[in-house]
Amino acid sequence: MSEGLRQAFDLSLFWDYRVILLHGFAVNVLVFLCAAVLALSAGLGAALLRVNAWFPLRWLGTLHVEVFRNAPDYVMLVWVHFVLPLIIGLAIRRRVEFHPFASAVLALGLVYSGYFAETFRAGIQAIPRGNLDAGRAFGMSERLILWRITLPQVVRRMLPEALNQFISLFKATTIVSLIAVPDLMYDVSMVTQQEMRPLPLYTGAALAYFLVIFILASGVRAFSERWRRKILA
Amino acid sequence: MSAIPRIRVVDVHKRFGTLEVLRGVSFDVHAGNVVSVIGASGSGKSTLLRCINYLEKPNSGEVYIEGEPLGSRLDAGGRRRPRPLADINKMRRELGVVFQQYNLWPHMTVLGNVVEAPIRVRRLPRAEATALAEECLRRVQLTDKAGEYPARLSGGQQQRAAIARALAMRPKAMLFDEPTSSLDPELTDEVLGVMRELAADGTTMIVATHEMDFAREVSDRVIFLHDGQIEEEGAPAELFVRPKSERLGRFLSKYRK
Repeated sequence: MSEGLRQAFDLSLFWDYRVILLHGFAVNVLVFLCAAVLALSAGLGAALLRVNAWFPLRWLGTLHVEVFRNAPDYVMLVWVHFVLPLIIGLAIRRRVEFHPFASAVLALGLVYSGYFAETFRAGIQAIPRGNLDAGRAFGMSERLILWRITLPQVVRRMLPEALNQFISLFKATTIVSLIAVPDLMYDVSMVTQQEMRPLPLYTGAALAYFLVIFILASGVRAFSERWRRKILA
Repeated sequence: MSAIPRIRVVDVHKRFGTLEVLRGVSFDVHAGNVVSVIGASGSGKSTLLRCINYLEKPNSGEVYIEGEPLGSRLDAGGRRRPRPLADINKMRRELGVVFQQYNLWPHMTVLGNVVEAPIRVRRLPRAEATALAEECLRRVQLTDKAGEYPARLSGGQQQRAAIARALAMRPKAMLFDEPTSSLDPELTDEVLGVMRELAADGTTMIVATHEMDFAREVSDRVIFLHDGQIEEEGAPAELFVRPKSERLGRFLSKYRK
């Protein structure tokens, strides 16, 4: 084995720094969770606009989806962190700065809200009209129908696709070190600068991401399949 | 028979674009009566039922539930105002609806389907709603399927569950929109059997149906709808034996074979 290759797979260095790196990984998870909450709520909001009977609201929903779905994560991250505070600062005539963590959550949350909006919309539109008629016939309000009849079915139907989007979102959290959010990749590059041995550190990071995503995704997929099958004929 | 009909339909018109589906339909249903609505596909039966509980808003005309108009109410100044949706919802819960496609909520068990509206709309405590639901499931002979999801049931069982769901709201009247039209013949009877029992128990019912035997044997009155208007109506003994209109005669002859 060549020296380079041997070094790349010598993960003892990764292990030595496990506490720092684990902390970085926890930041990834935290960014992911916060961005996921934002993406889901903004996505649901946009989807509800997209299926609204009133044209201007529908248009607004489409605008949201198209703007954020077509913005690359990286560009959005930089734009939200550096440009958006400037614009807001000009508007309110005060110096504004975003905390890197907040920028990361906002940027990733918005980009992925565009994807989730489309998934929600497809799910909402796949619900048979009769299901809603039945709710209305029994005197349920539109809000009650949304929470009790539409959303529980949408969530079940959209799970496989949403799972893929969650995985993409989690992977996207690895770029937040670009704006100095201290995540795993950030820590890896810091340690690399000290140790001058980038290969095992990056290999370790790749393995850690792979294992966590693979194990979580397999678990969720198996669970969601069982759950879905119960309601689908 | 009380003076105020349980349901009064007055000159209901309904258009979809340029297509006029209902062209002035009026009739009364008194408490404990069963009224069957018959007619060819496209004659407006389903639309009429959907207009009665405002799932479709009539373009003109009005529906009264025990004398109270569904689409409007008096404001403080004594003027007629369109009823807000929240208020229409309140009136609607008095009418139990059974749909052709059952429309059970697939993500809830049979019991979940039956207790949902009593808990969320009528605000019954869960224990009380469950007891009520079990009673309704017993009436449709579906007690053993309470824990199943709708996808696991036959069409007949699904429709009986849907009937239980409507009964659990303790409605003032039940509306059946071609309840057996999606069912195989062998499953039709189990649903019609349940409906016969409901009728015998004095349930007020409006039934849009193609089941002429059921209409003849169970109804107090039969309405023959043609092209969005009542072509003929009367007691089943009269209407099925001596139809006055030629159209009804022709319509019935198709079922005599």
